Amino acid sequence: MRPRGLARMPGIVNSVLLGLCAYVTLFPFVNIIMVSFSSSRAITSGEVFMWPVEFNLEAYMKLFKDGQLLIAMRNTIWITCIGVVFNIVMTIMAAYPLSKSRLRGRKPLSMIILFTMLFSGGMIPNFLVVNELGLVNTYWALWLPGLMSVYNMFVMKSFFESLPEELEESASIDGASSLTILWRIVLPLSKPVIAALTLFYAVGWWNSYMNVLIYIRSTDKLSLMVKLYQMIALVSPELLRGEGVSEVLITPEGIRAAAIVIAITPILCVYPFLQKHFIKGVLLGSIKG
Amino acid sequence: MRAVSQHKWWKALARDRFLYVLLAPVLVYLLIFKYLPIAGEMIAFKNYRLADGIFGSPWVGWAQFQKLFASQEFYTVLRNTIVLNMYQLVFVFPVPIVLAILLNEVRIEWYKRTLQNLLYIPHFISWVVLGSVVIALLSPSTGFVNFMLKAVGLDPVYFMASTTWWPVAFIASSIWKEAGFGTILYLAAMAGIDPTLYEAAKIDGARKLRQIWHVTLPGIRSTIAILLILQTGNMMDVGFEHIYALRNASVTSVSEVISTYVYTRGIVNLQYSYTAALGLFQSVVGLVLILSVNRLIKLLGERGLW
Repeated sequence: MRPRGLARMPGIVNSVLLGLCAYVTLFPFVNIIMVSFSSSRAITSGEVFMWPVEFNLEAYMKLFKDGQLLIAMRNTIWITCIGVVFNIVMTIMAAYPLSKSRLRGRKPLSMIILFTMLFSGGMIPNFLVVNELGLVNTYWALWLPGLMSVYNMFVMKSFFESLPEELEESASIDGASSLTILWRIVLPLSKPVIAALTLFYAVGWWNSYMNVLIYIRSTDKLSLMVKLYQMIALVSPELLRGEGVSEVLITPEGIRAAAIVIAITPILCVYPFLQKHFIKGVLLGSIKG
Repeated sequence: MRAVSQHKWWKALARDRFLYVLLAPVLVYLLIFKYLPIAGEMIAFKNYRLADGIFGSPWVGWAQFQKLFASQEFYTVLRNTIVLNMYQLVFVFPVPIVLAILLNEVRIEWYKRTLQNLLYIPHFISWVVLGSVVIALLSPSTGFVNFMLKAVGLDPVYFMASTTWWPVAFIASSIWKEAGFGTILYLAAMAGIDPTLYEAAKIDGARKLRQIWHVTLPGIRSTIAILLILQTGNMMDVGFEHIYALRNASVTSVSEVISTYVYTRGIVNLQYSYTAALGLFQSVVGLVLILSVNRLIKLLGERGLW
């Protein structure tokens, strides 16, 4: 038997090691936030680490005055809000019927939905369908193809299946209509799973840019992430070699950092309130998934 | 007999008409935005013209595929896709497992929960943001990493423009984004391990490492198996947004993968049929892969995906 004090060493080393992991994970964000509040002189001479040097808000002032990023942010908020409402409604509409074991044709219907997870038309056929429907350069091109995530639908379905059957039975004996049962009994009980899926869908919309890149053409309709990407792509002089973009477009390091901070702030703000829900959501999905 | 079963069907339809009404729009959605594009893959065998549409364009048989397999670019793109995925499998896939094992050993509950919540954060941040942070940190003129190199007397390295360092940055950013979040499923599986197994191992004189080897790892084996199937099923698909956020003109030879190539040649340069052929190739190989790995895992005695 080893002495008690020494036997605890591995545990302490482990805890310190993990703390270091967390630090390395978050340091880049902290550094970027500090850069956004520092003077350009301090940034280019490499003095900024964990605190702002020569604190100023110049980068933010410039961004707000320019206004393009704000328009993009407004677009993203709009895309996210409408998108999430569509997602949640559609996910419930699919998950609720499929959670009822008495539903005739449940097996083949589930298979039809599951198959789309295994095999899907690629980027080009999807684009052509949206294009032939005349949706390109409207937000419908984002919302309609992304109405529902099959994975999230199965998460919600397994949650509905876990609700006790008797609740709905007694309500229907009392003469409640199917819609009333869904609205008054099932959905209020499903708040945790709805919260988790709202978070997943909202983060998805907020962060998405491939679909905007493909489907949206007008500059004033672009989302925050695409705008940010354009700013960053046009910022780094080194990355522009041979791409024929003039130096005039180069945005200073500090402004780039401020734009990044603006883009992640909303997520960091809602994160602490929702973190206990998403873990539940992930685990729920893994039970049947 | 037949009449009776038909009668039953009607009764079920009438009884659950509300449920079918709910399902109808879902089916319409799937038909238009999931199954129509699958049918639209037929343009890989056609010469797509905008004016004629998907169904009206003329058939050309395997011509697009012959053109594809004859082009040098196809092999570069295919190689990059497979190589980057192999790196993911070897260097990224095991990280959450190790991290989960370490987290599972933390006995102070609040410390463990705080660590978890902090480690999950990058998962919720967009690749554009993470990519630009990586580019900023590695910038040869103003990046933190190069300031550190200069401080110890080394020459600054232009990481993002080097074909050697770019894949390293790609892998590191993958770990940064997903390692923490990836621990959720493993930690849940570990929480389900019967504590008496650990007791028994202790009585047998097993130290911590042996306990992990003989109790913890077997306890999460089926979770590893399932995630491995999913990972392998993605072998033909490197995340478009991840690549797009990190790539630049200097490293195209290692960074161009199937999805980014389809985007540039198809959406930007309008070669729809040619890139649809590549997309179809990708989907079919992906499907075959996931079916065979699922089969293999089942043969090895684990529970598969279905």
